Amino acid sequence: MADNVRGTGDDGIPVTAGSGTTPTGTAGAQVVDPTLDARAAAADVPPELIAQSLGQYFRAWWLRVRGGNSGVLPVVLAIVVVAVSFQVANSKFLSSQNLVNLFEQSTVYMLLAMAEIFALLLGEIDLSVGLVMGLGSVVVAELVQPSGLGWPWWAAIIVTLLACSAVGAIQGWLVAKVKMPSFIVTLGGLLILEGVGILVLGGTLVGIGNSRFTNEVVLYDIFWGHFNPLVGWILLVVLVGAAGTGLWLRDAGRRRQGLETPPRSLTALKIVLIAVAGIAVVAICNVNRAHFGTIEGVPYIVPIVLVVLGAWTVLLQRTRFGRYVYAIGGNPEAARRAGVSLASVRIWAFVLAALTSGIAGILFASWQVSLTTNIIKTSNSYVLLAVAAAVIGGTSLFGGRGKTIHGILGGLVIGGIYNGLYLLSVSSQWIDVVVAAVLLAAATIDVLSRRGATGQA
Amino acid sequence: MTADPGETPTGTAKPQAVDLTLDAKVAAADLPPELVAQSLRQYLRASWLRIRSGNSGVLPVILAIVVVAVVFQIVTPEHAFLRPSNLVYIFGLSTVYMVLAMAETVVLLLAEVDLSVGAVALIGGVIAFKLVQQPGPDWPWWAAILAALACCGVIGALQGAMTALLRIPSFVVTLGGFLLFSGILIVILGGADATVSVSTSVPNQRVIYYMVQGLTSPVVDWVALAVVVGAAGTSLWLRAAGRRRQGLAAPPASLTAIRIALVALIGAAVVLICTVNRGTAIVTVEGVPWVIPIVLVLLGAWTLVLQRTRFGRYVYAIGGNPEAARRAGVSLAAIRIWAFALCAATAALGGILLGSFFYGEYSTNTADPGQLVLYAIAAAVIGGVSLFGGRGKAVHGVLGGLLIGGIAYGVSLLNLGNLATPLEYILPGGVLLAAVLIDVLSRRGTGSVNTHG
Repeated sequence: MADNVRGTGDDGIPVTAGSGTTPTGTAGAQVVDPTLDARAAAADVPPELIAQSLGQYFRAWWLRVRGGNSGVLPVVLAIVVVAVSFQVANSKFLSSQNLVNLFEQSTVYMLLAMAEIFALLLGEIDLSVGLVMGLGSVVVAELVQPSGLGWPWWAAIIVTLLACSAVGAIQGWLVAKVKMPSFIVTLGGLLILEGVGILVLGGTLVGIGNSRFTNEVVLYDIFWGHFNPLVGWILLVVLVGAAGTGLWLRDAGRRRQGLETPPRSLTALKIVLIAVAGIAVVAICNVNRAHFGTIEGVPYIVPIVLVVLGAWTVLLQRTRFGRYVYAIGGNPEAARRAGVSLASVRIWAFVLAALTSGIAGILFASWQVSLTTNIIKTSNSYVLLAVAAAVIGGTSLFGGRGKTIHGILGGLVIGGIYNGLYLLSVSSQWIDVVVAAVLLAAATIDVLSRRGATGQA
Repeated sequence: MTADPGETPTGTAKPQAVDLTLDAKVAAADLPPELVAQSLRQYLRASWLRIRSGNSGVLPVILAIVVVAVVFQIVTPEHAFLRPSNLVYIFGLSTVYMVLAMAETVVLLLAEVDLSVGAVALIGGVIAFKLVQQPGPDWPWWAAILAALACCGVIGALQGAMTALLRIPSFVVTLGGFLLFSGILIVILGGADATVSVSTSVPNQRVIYYMVQGLTSPVVDWVALAVVVGAAGTSLWLRAAGRRRQGLAAPPASLTAIRIALVALIGAAVVLICTVNRGTAIVTVEGVPWVIPIVLVLLGAWTLVLQRTRFGRYVYAIGGNPEAARRAGVSLAAIRIWAFALCAATAALGGILLGSFFYGEYSTNTADPGQLVLYAIAAAVIGGVSLFGGRGKAVHGVLGGLLIGGIAYGVSLLNLGNLATPLEYILPGGVLLAAVLIDVLSRRGTGSVNTHG
């Protein structure tokens, strides 16, 4: 949107020529500062690829941050600021009981933000993720009703995910093939979905909280269930062991073949970090968090969110589809000339966004336990917060820049703010104000940090 | 642009074979038909050419309004849709969408978007209502309204400055603004359960209450209509005559006459509909509601600003090609900030009218700011405003808003039971998609496709 002014001196980006001088022709030789160029190049390469030692790695990483590629740094800092300030204000904030609660509140934001990132990476937008979630929640709840269809839970989940994906396919087709702007397609889509959701609900209340029916219990447990503490530890050991071995073996393999490899100490550090983070999560979750009786163990939603994160990260970072998504987001015309089928990649991205929203919908149904017309309407309000979470996490609105992890981190920031202000019994209107301030701060930091960067608009 | 996606261009500087007739047609389609036509027949032909080439203007939305009116007239019980009382109610219901869509139009013309208009409109309404409270500020009504417009104008200018000076995408700035002002709205209102209202028993508050609900007497309506049509007709005729005398391009005299007749006819129809007694035999309800002249004045003001002032020309220039506008010496930042400020001030007026429509009472249940903004954007786009900047007029917002209001009310007239609420969402969504689909398809293959991506 009107962004082609960038880099022409309009906002003071040094393009080597002062704004007063007339360019002498685009093909003419220009004076280039070689050190600047080298630095810019260094800032573009992932630090793992050029560093030979841990010290070099940190230096390269810092150069990258300085160059405007700050990645997850601002949002991690934001999480630290949120955690520290709320902990100072109320010592319950970082209690293990509240942290689990916080994660539960953030789950839907995280999933919807991960969904939105597929659209944002292409430079498109999907305003319908909130209501795709709403639709998914109603469909899954309706399908298992014993008085109605009474399907088994697994069939209900599969059909729900298929239905949501179909919505995404239709919207993606309209965007990619008919060439309608995604803003309008998904705006119209959300209006229609709101109606369809209310229609499927049928004007009454649909619940999945009846413990006499196994199918409802399974759906209820998706959000509210948790592992036995011992199982949590065993799973952690297995996962960290597998991840650590995999990382180490891959690096060793690359080193043996003489390929670019991160330093050994870095790999070790990464494995240790994963293990420490995992132990912290399991330890926190295994504390008894019930007021009466016992509730302890890792909630199922933690592995669910991690699996979605892992799957989409692999899809975006390691497959051809992912490379094409970034290529189209960076420059669709260049991607087209390189032989990328714009239409099919775009359609698949919208399908994946809707699929992820469908997963969020199943969790949403489980979270809310009973669904009403009003809850369908509120599901729309999640969309703007999902976009906010993605942007706070570090994903660009203009396409080509962002990762799935940004959705998780941004969702945690928003969930943390909601949770923390709620703990301080601040009324909900101020929560919106704080989220807005964080969003604007994130966007300003992003724009300013990029402005100092060389030629990176 | 004209190449199909499979063809590789052979270099930008190379001369290309151009179909000259096509070129002439496209050029003709870009000019307003008034300027090229010498007779009525030529004018109609030029208009048709323009429509064929994708510049369909208000035609699709007017057709849609006609279709909606006819369909609902047929399907509503007792064929009640086109009753005068319903038509007047629909106008009141649509007011907020019409005004917010006009506000959104100026921002969309710049190829920006303002997601905060809904929240800002409600803030403007609550400010105006709060300022006329009797135990309280008790400002005169005009000062309260001006203060609300000014406050919201400043809000808009701040958001515009963040977009224009810092170059943060307007989507993000106004998304933040939407959240921020939705929260502040409740703070100003005094809590989630608070209400603020104006009543007819206080003369100062009555003015605000009457902005939508108030009626003028039928005699005044006819006199006012005669004066307005007379003045508009005379000035139209004299201007065309003056241009013709000076040898400038002028529309044919028959066209001017037809236009004046149309204005008179539509005006007479509106007054006629509104002056029918829509009450009962005991309580007479007749006369044009205040809101109709208010919306018309706002429409006239926005049309003048966008079509006849330097600011308006610059808005279209920036929306068409910001870089070209910048090189032509247009201050992008100043125009953008002003556009956001005017958008927010217009939205504030919409908010005040919304409160008046809800019988002078404001609460958090009055409207959902998120829903308002989506409907406002939908109304502007349905009316014919482009999301990519540079194409659209204030009247598009009014027509789009009227269509959305008409659909919403028509659905509520049908006895659909459980189907009523879903259709209230499905129909506007479907109309929005259909409008853009028609727009995209009509533009395809004419060389004026806005290739996006």
